Amino acid sequence: MAQNINPRMRTRSIAFRLISAVLLVEAVSSVVVVFLALGYERHAHFRAFDVMLHGRADSVLGAVQDAEDAADNVMLDIRDIHLPPDDVYEVFDGSGRLLGRSSNWQGAVATPIENDRHGMARAQINNRHYRLLKMAGSRIVDPGLPNGGKLRNVSIVYGAPTEPVWHAITGAVEFYAAGSLLLLLVTGPLIAWLLHRGLDPLRELAALAGRVSVNSWEFSPPESARQTPELAPLTGAIESVLARLRQSFDKERAFVSDAAHELKTAVAVVKSSLQVLAMKRRTLEEYEAGLSRCLSDTARLEDIVAKMLMLAREESGAPDADGEAAADLVGCVRGTVAQLENLATHAQVSLEVGSPEGGPLRVSAAADECSILISNLLTNAIQHSAPGSIVQARITSEIDMVRLEIEDAGEGIEREVLPHVFDRFYRGDPSRTRATGGTGLGLAISKAIVQRAGGTIAIESEVGRGTTVKVRLPLAAARVPEPSSV
Amino acid sequence: MRVLLVEDEVRLAENLAAALREGPGFAVDRAEDGLTGDDCAQNQCYDLIVLDLMLPGMDGLSLLRRLRARKDTTPVLILTAKEGSESIIQLLNAGADDYLEKPFDLGELIARTKALIRRGKGAAHPTLNFGGLEVNTLEQTVRRDGALVDLSPTEYRILEYLMHRPRAVVAKRELLEHLYDYNWEHHSNVIEAHVSNLRKKLEAAVPGAEPVIETMRGRGYRLAPERPADPGIDD
Repeated sequence: MAQNINPRMRTRSIAFRLISAVLLVEAVSSVVVVFLALGYERHAHFRAFDVMLHGRADSVLGAVQDAEDAADNVMLDIRDIHLPPDDVYEVFDGSGRLLGRSSNWQGAVATPIENDRHGMARAQINNRHYRLLKMAGSRIVDPGLPNGGKLRNVSIVYGAPTEPVWHAITGAVEFYAAGSLLLLLVTGPLIAWLLHRGLDPLRELAALAGRVSVNSWEFSPPESARQTPELAPLTGAIESVLARLRQSFDKERAFVSDAAHELKTAVAVVKSSLQVLAMKRRTLEEYEAGLSRCLSDTARLEDIVAKMLMLAREESGAPDADGEAAADLVGCVRGTVAQLENLATHAQVSLEVGSPEGGPLRVSAAADECSILISNLLTNAIQHSAPGSIVQARITSEIDMVRLEIEDAGEGIEREVLPHVFDRFYRGDPSRTRATGGTGLGLAISKAIVQRAGGTIAIESEVGRGTTVKVRLPLAAARVPEPSSV
Repeated sequence: MRVLLVEDEVRLAENLAAALREGPGFAVDRAEDGLTGDDCAQNQCYDLIVLDLMLPGMDGLSLLRRLRARKDTTPVLILTAKEGSESIIQLLNAGADDYLEKPFDLGELIARTKALIRRGKGAAHPTLNFGGLEVNTLEQTVRRDGALVDLSPTEYRILEYLMHRPRAVVAKRELLEHLYDYNWEHHSNVIEAHVSNLRKKLEAAVPGAEPVIETMRGRGYRLAPERPADPGIDD
């Protein structure tokens, strides 16, 4: 049973599948690009952000000054520094005393701070995400003094909101995503158009192949189709299939024409026999003779029809592999020789049979097929033999084959005729076979029988010396004891 | 009239020959292959050649071409079992005069052979007229000045042949060749008797009339005008 093909699969064209595949790959790469862009932008922007935080923290540290008081303290004076209003900071001295803090923050104590790996910290301040930098620094107060001033340790926590950074990152990623989408939209139709154009040679080839019919076998693919690597095998395959088809079609047509010729001629004979009889009033004896002639003419017609049917049956029949029909070749040869004894005696030809001792040699053919095969070959041999000569039928057996050779010492077959003897309706010498009632189908039928039984048939002939027909048939599977002698 | 039948199918040839002999009373020679057919045709004594296409030795088309190549104008009727107008066109172009496809009707074959022979001799109508003579080739009847003349088959065939060649001297040999098949020589003695009987019957039909068939001693026979002044020939 044929497999059911999913109709949806069938309707999808190659172009559709290719375009879908390309667009899918494109979409996947767009997504990957967007994610990569996200990572990269985030990294770059936060790096810049951190540098900026450092800069601003440094600026704030720079504002730490000598407080000019008794305890020799330091103080923070940020009057000269301009910081963004959203930024937060806290500055402590070495002993942890708060030096200053931005006005919009309650300080690190009031805010839970999460440290991250890079010495940075995150915090939620005033319901906004902040990135915080903790930095310890030192400050030399009064560097102009002879002892080189006094080194004071200070530390700072500086933070800025991350919102603007994320905004920049998403902006960049959105740009990439939009660009990719646009590309996808533009390339889709472009690919479709290019593919359509690219498949033109295939369509052209299909159109050319579609023009081939039984009346016009012309198929001349353009040179480009032969040279395109993808189309060359297809073109070659179409060409060789067409050539083989044409050959067998021509052969069939010739057969039909020949068959028609044979049948028409045979019918013409019958018809004319009847019409001659009806041309005028005749005596009873004339009518009787005429009727018997008509009868034999009809028999001839019947013979042609029967042989044509047999040929058709043998040629269309599947090889008989299960070995149901297993005729004994030796028995068939002996039986057929006995039947043809009269014909041989009439032609003054003697028939000799040589067969191996032992049990029957069974071949994969029915007994009637075997008899027809042997009868055809022997009749040919007898008809082409000179009076007084011998026709030999030899059977020899090999391991799994049986060989049948029928040899006559007749006039032989000419070299140019030899390749055609198995052709249907071929007559080596038409006048002769017409006279003997041959249809030109005997050898074609023989060949079909042999081939159906899985064997081979060949003819060797030399003009003036005689002809040998060699048949090789495989022994049927169900074989009875192997003959000891050959 | 004498017909050459080239046909390799023996039974068909037998039937055709029988029909042509029994129907229009032609003499028929048979050849079973192309080469024999060609040999026979070279005798130039046929009024028609019936030719099968598929022949051993030499096929019908080649025979036809050979025939026409040596300027043989004998009408040729082709018998064919082939199908398709292409081969028919080819045949007619090669010089065939007519064709019949197998299996054919014998009546049609006979009618066509008669027409071809008539045409080959330059007569368009199946009734031949000369002087007071009227020969109906379909009914095979002869009238002289309206009076029916009863002739034997051989006498009729002699007269029909002469009617096709009025005023010309027809040699006895030619007459024999065209009225009998290949063993015409056996008939050479009886032909004079047949001509003599024919002349008598024609004269008896209209008493007092001048002789119609003249015997030219040593040369043959001639269908002469009844009255020397009569300018009418055939139709």
